[in-house]
Amino acid sequence: MKTIQLTVNGVQCSITCPPAKTLLDVLREDLGLTASKECCGKGECGSCSVLINNEAACSCLVLAGQAEGQDIITCEGVGLTPNLDVIQESFVEEGATQCGYCTPGIIVSAKAFLNGINHIPTTDEIKTALGGNLCRCTGYTKIIKAVQSAAAKNNSKKETITG
Amino acid sequence: MLVSEIDMITPSSLSECLAFLAQTNKKHKLLAGGTDATVRMKEGNWRPEVWVNIKNLKELRYIEEKEGCIHIGPLTTHTDIVRSPLLQKKADVLVEASREVGATQMQNMGTIGGNIGTASPAGDTIPALYVLGAILEISSLDTKRLVPIEQFFTGPGRTVLRVNEMITNILIQPQVPNEIGIFQKLGPRKAQSISIVNVAISLRMIEGRHCQGGKIAFGAVGPTIIRAKKCESLLSQGPLTEDLIQNIAKIAWKEVMPITDVRATATYRRDMASALLERGLYRLIRRWENR
Ligand SMILES: Cc1cc2nc3c(=O)[nH]c(=O)nc-3n(C[C@H](O)[C@H](O)[C@H](O)COP(=O)(O)OP(=O)(O)OC[C@H]3O[C@@H](n4cnc5c(N)ncnc54)[C@H](O)[C@@H]3O)c2cc1C
Ligand code: FES
Ligand code: FES
Repeated sequence: MKTIQLTVNGVQCSITCPPAKTLLDVLREDLGLTASKECCGKGECGSCSVLINNEAACSCLVLAGQAEGQDIITCEGVGLTPNLDVIQESFVEEGATQCGYCTPGIIVSAKAFLNGINHIPTTDEIKTALGGNLCRCTGYTKIIKAVQSAAAKNNSKKETITG
Repeated sequence: MLVSEIDMITPSSLSECLAFLAQTNKKHKLLAGGTDATVRMKEGNWRPEVWVNIKNLKELRYIEEKEGCIHIGPLTTHTDIVRSPLLQKKADVLVEASREVGATQMQNMGTIGGNIGTASPAGDTIPALYVLGAILEISSLDTKRLVPIEQFFTGPGRTVLRVNEMITNILIQPQVPNEIGIFQKLGPRKAQSISIVNVAISLRMIEGRHCQGGKIAFGAVGPTIIRAKKCESLLSQGPLTEDLIQNIAKIAWKEVMPITDVRATATYRRDMASALLERGLYRLIRRWENR
């Protein structure tokens, strides 16, 4: 057992667990944050995606001991009702979710992607950015639309601030 | 060994890490991004007594040009490589290879040192490092040796690395202005797939379609990466016309040594090695003519 200090959604946490436990299990079991999901457990599907120091990563492949001192953001940290993030609002408006299992991971990946750009992304750019997130209900058309409309909202917000 | 019994140490510097590797008598393994290591731990294949977590050794994460050489720290991620203006300009083939690794999350997590360390015959950055003439700096607490990448791998998953050693630097030759490279990969789908065949090509052009020479390295068609030396010897035999390119591609069919496995049959791999090389050469020539 090791005691590990990390920041999750802005909150300092201290957890005692085996160091080779996955970050995903720490989030779900030790911290009760169940938005991140386990599906493949091998880095292939992205349903466990979280931000580590603002970059999307698969929490099913990060070991707890490696999360020491890191800044983690899960889908809960992107936004919760009633304070949803623009991306989450767009997913609701576009109906970009079916069973919902992939959704938290996609929201997190989309958040990292939109944080890094200043334009409305093309379909191809979104496909590349979200290539590591699978949706078995195959609602990709609406997911792509939701990301584009979130980018449009972000842009018009920036224009009102600067203009 | 159960996963819950595996310990982890996180050295705070390279010297502390090398000191640990020198003195420990526990079964240990380095852990960088974990994108290969954690998967293998879960499958039950890799169960060391202790993980040596090097992920946050910042001193091993850099890309810089010094004394005519590009130095890449082993903890440099694929995302770092893709975003590096220096590598985009002077090691295009490596940038293209890193861009083909997995998808965003794997590129953010996975490191070049880990890609080499796993020693998979299908590792995407390795053929690119072959054509860039990479040299690996391998260190233990009190030794340092330089090993050309072509002498580093001894078989699938096997390298010349000793238990107390690690890769501490990757040196490549920067491309000169008339040198152009390309990486081509065939996987079962576009993102997130292991190569069925891949090829890295680097050419030194003279004028028009005339080429002074070059290097061609295939992945996933042999126990380690294969340099296609017969193909290479034809590169300077005349202008790279459609005929010559097709001939070179035919030679590649014979030069690779693939096996049949769950991902593809040997014959399919030969056909695809040949096709990828042909396509890669056409694309390179087009880029050269349009620059
Ligand atoms: C879903 C998925 C898709 C993938 N797709 C691709 C792909 O398309 N192409 C591809 O090439 N790979 C792919 N991979 C494999 C993997 O992501 C890469 O090989 C990656 O570069 C490994 O880096 P890492 O830092 O995660 O290595 P780790 O898993 O941390 O380590 C891998 C091995 O290297 C050793 N090692 C690490 N650093 C050093 C060092 N400095 N010195 C000596 N040994 C060291 C470790 O001990 C271990 O044996 C994929 C993996 C997953 C899970
Ligand atoms: S559960 Fe982590 S990528 Fe599928
Ligand atoms: S909504 Fe069901 S997996 Fe994506």
